[in-house]
Amino acid sequence: MPSASVPLCLLIKMNAIEARNLSKSYRLQGSVAPTMFGSLARMFRHEPPKLLWAMDNVSFDVRRGETIGVIGPNGAGKSSLLSLIAKTTAPTSGSISAHGRVSSLLELGAGFHSELTGRENIFLNGAILGIPKATLARRFDDIVDFAGIREFLDMPVKFYSSGMYVRLGFAIAVEMDPDILLIDEVLAVGDTAFQIKCLARIRDFQRRGKTLVFVSHALQTVEEFCGRVFLIHKGKLVCEGKPAEVIFKYLKEYMGEGGGIHAVEYGSRDVEITGVRFINASGEEAGTFAMNEPFAVEVSYHAHKRVDRPVFGFAVKTGNGFFVYGSNTQIAGFHMDRIEGQGKIRLKINPLTLMQGNFFLSLSVHSWDHSVQYHRLEDWYPFVVKNSTQEQGIFRLNSEWEKV
Amino acid sequence: MNIFSDIIAHRELLANLVMRNLKSRYKDSVLGFLWSILTPLFMAFIYLLFLRILARGVPMEEILIGVFAWQYTAQCIFNGLTCITDNGNLVKKVYFPRMILPLATTISNLVNFLLTLVVQFVLVAILLGLHGQSIGSAVIALPVVVAFHFLFCFGIVLFLSCANVYFRDLEHLVNVLVTALFFVTPAMYSFSMVEQIVAAIHLPVLAEIYMLNPMAVIITAYRALILPGVAFPMTAGAGGGVLIAAAFVFAAYFLFQKLQKNFSDMF
Repeated sequence: MPSASVPLCLLIKMNAIEARNLSKSYRLQGSVAPTMFGSLARMFRHEPPKLLWAMDNVSFDVRRGETIGVIGPNGAGKSSLLSLIAKTTAPTSGSISAHGRVSSLLELGAGFHSELTGRENIFLNGAILGIPKATLARRFDDIVDFAGIREFLDMPVKFYSSGMYVRLGFAIAVEMDPDILLIDEVLAVGDTAFQIKCLARIRDFQRRGKTLVFVSHALQTVEEFCGRVFLIHKGKLVCEGKPAEVIFKYLKEYMGEGGGIHAVEYGSRDVEITGVRFINASGEEAGTFAMNEPFAVEVSYHAHKRVDRPVFGFAVKTGNGFFVYGSNTQIAGFHMDRIEGQGKIRLKINPLTLMQGNFFLSLSVHSWDHSVQYHRLEDWYPFVVKNSTQEQGIFRLNSEWEKV
Repeated sequence: MNIFSDIIAHRELLANLVMRNLKSRYKDSVLGFLWSILTPLFMAFIYLLFLRILARGVPMEEILIGVFAWQYTAQCIFNGLTCITDNGNLVKKVYFPRMILPLATTISNLVNFLLTLVVQFVLVAILLGLHGQSIGSAVIALPVVVAFHFLFCFGIVLFLSCANVYFRDLEHLVNVLVTALFFVTPAMYSFSMVEQIVAAIHLPVLAEIYMLNPMAVIITAYRALILPGVAFPMTAGAGGGVLIAAAFVFAAYFLFQKLQKNFSDMF
């Protein structure tokens, strides 16, 4: 039957990426480069090499056209996973196969030669990425304009700013037209205008049915772009599923562990903050919240002795440590007489005027005269805000226009 | 995928890397390409003077051929040693057949060698003309020797570049070994000088052992093809030298293929 070969062929190629019992270990050899003397010394000391399992028995399939987000704490193995898919590193055991042309945006500007000009580097870097010379020549002007480096074209790239470097790298990399595109946190660089251009390119890839694997700490971007999210922790695929659920699990169980910005805890512990629940507009516990909708934080505490007129405070910082807002019950005029034993209070923010991004909540409880800090959890609780409007920025200003 | 078709698929990258190597070599100096000719010329003059002092007459044209050919091997050794480690960032982040890097190093040095060969031919023709001689017709076989020299250099670069990934202090050892290799290679002297010495001490087998060094075979072959007065010793030793070179290239190739998949973990 001649027609049978077609569906079979399609069936085989349904998956863009397949990993089976994939493991990868690295030898930890300290900060020094490997040397002959070092190897001899280790041989005589009979030192077994220390191994780090960056990927530990992981199996998964990625279907053609899917966009996968990969999240996890620093050092979880996210970048190792991308390197394994890109074939820049080989698995220690197990297998991984990618069907189709793979290209990764983790190599932005990696192939640049600092002595050569921008023009020369476009062709050199293009060749490294396997883009035919004819394609580069045809698309040359688009690349230059996208990167916005026209006036610096004949200058050696060693004089480029880091932003120009990355923009040029991105502009060349997206010309590859791969079947599978790997993106590793590159969108964190560049100004807002460039980021918007990059995200538009990524949407374009999605529309054309390309497969994307996306590593990012910008959780709202992950939620916005990805159909499925992998949570990786200590080299293991801890869970996978819908973005909102996986991100919530990540925020709740893993993010605090690696710490927020500083994530410090101190105080006399006469009153302890024992639990926090973030509540969304529909009254459910969640990790991701919509801008301009009600947001509440339920704080459980345990007062080990009687405390008169305690003051509860909170502060919000962005993921990169910018202090956004802080207040407490005293400033707000919410007076608490005395507490003893267990109890709960609720902080209500309505509407939530944070725009988008990863945020950290700090909580504290101290005495009315600020003389005793009972318990302070600095940058302890992460949460994500997403913005479905066209408005830009990190904080919403209540603004309107009128004719004068 | 087969490594050869993989390299052919990346031929534009290979061409670009060769151009990059040549450009960055010639770009920063005013004399540019001239240095590639002047360095071996200066060396040839120094050796000539030194040998005159030792009262051993070696014709200038033999020294020229020897020093230029040696220069190609030496440059391959020093550039080849770091051709993977210098591109660590690239190796770590981009997939491409790793063999492209040693191949590009060997080819860009070959291009440089072929360019200097032109100058060398003019000089040798002038020197021969002074004693009423000219370059022999055997010179048409020169591409065979150049090809063999190229493959041997490629083997050296393959071996050294991947060894240097694992042992970054290899450079110090290589410096010593290159000096040793230089002295057992007839670059600044002639093979006939070696024959005279072994004849004087009645140990002709030493001449055979001497020819086991592939560089001795290569340089003597260049001279035999270009100069009318030099004959290539068709001995078992020279055959052994050819076999050793071939075995070394194969061993280096398989070693490189075995180790290359872990290169990115070493940076």
